[in-house]
Amino acid sequence: MTDTSLKKLTDVTPGSKKPGGDSSERLPPPDYSYLGALLSYLIPGMGQIYQGRTGKGILFFVCIYTMFFYGMALGSWSNVYLPDTAKENNPWNLPPVLANLYNRPQFAGQFWVGIAAWPAVLQYSAYDPLKEGEGFLGTFQRTPDENRRGPNRPHGPTLNELQTNGDKTWDLGWVFTVIAGVLNIMVIYDAFAGPAFRTLPSSVRKDA
Amino acid sequence: MPALFALHYYWHLPILIVLISMVYSATRYDQWDLIIREAFRWGLRLTGFLLAILGVLYLVSIYL
Repeated sequence: MTDTSLKKLTDVTPGSKKPGGDSSERLPPPDYSYLGALLSYLIPGMGQIYQGRTGKGILFFVCIYTMFFYGMALGSWSNVYLPDTAKENNPWNLPPVLANLYNRPQFAGQFWVGIAAWPAVLQYSAYDPLKEGEGFLGTFQRTPDENRRGPNRPHGPTLNELQTNGDKTWDLGWVFTVIAGVLNIMVIYDAFAGPAFRTLPSSVRKDA
Repeated sequence: MPALFALHYYWHLPILIVLISMVYSATRYDQWDLIIREAFRWGLRLTGFLLAILGVLYLVSIYL
């Protein structure tokens, strides 16, 4: 690495003054990677792996998916969904999708985990309250029934049963999934523009 | 106070703290030594914050 390139890589944020150097010199703007951002949206960490930052990509993949699916398991696999409730509650006269997000804002956070939340979108688009949950997804990420409509319907617990018969674990579960989705926005930005603080590698820092 | 720790859903929080600290720190740095150091700091901050909230809620439940 040349002296010039070493000067450009300082342990300061982009655009800030370089310690001990000419204050007019600034870090060059990062290379923005739209494809990396898209890949990290689809699967957390995939953009970083595509960019050659494999270790970080695997870290993001493991941490985000652990958080998301651990949260789903805590919520009896019934806390990631988008209910169609616009007709019942739409105080701001929003378009149906926005009204549904207004009624269940958790999904606005969960959505950003990427492909892992797409079954909820598919279930939302094909939702029929009279059916049990069909197709290859079954009831996965389908809006749970609020009340039991018969002795055998639905097969699993209803939303009211989950919330009243259990402890607070069901609620903690959706918190996990929302945090996973929101953290993935930061992962997407890391894939798009790099880390918040660009620094020299430790080996170079010792030599410099 | 022991009753608070008997509530088992508190035991899910350390997992959350570790995962949040690691992901957040990894979005700030690319070097592993800096990521680990920053994650450790954030883990301490989050733990301290949650313990402070726990203490406040405990005092409120006792005296109010």
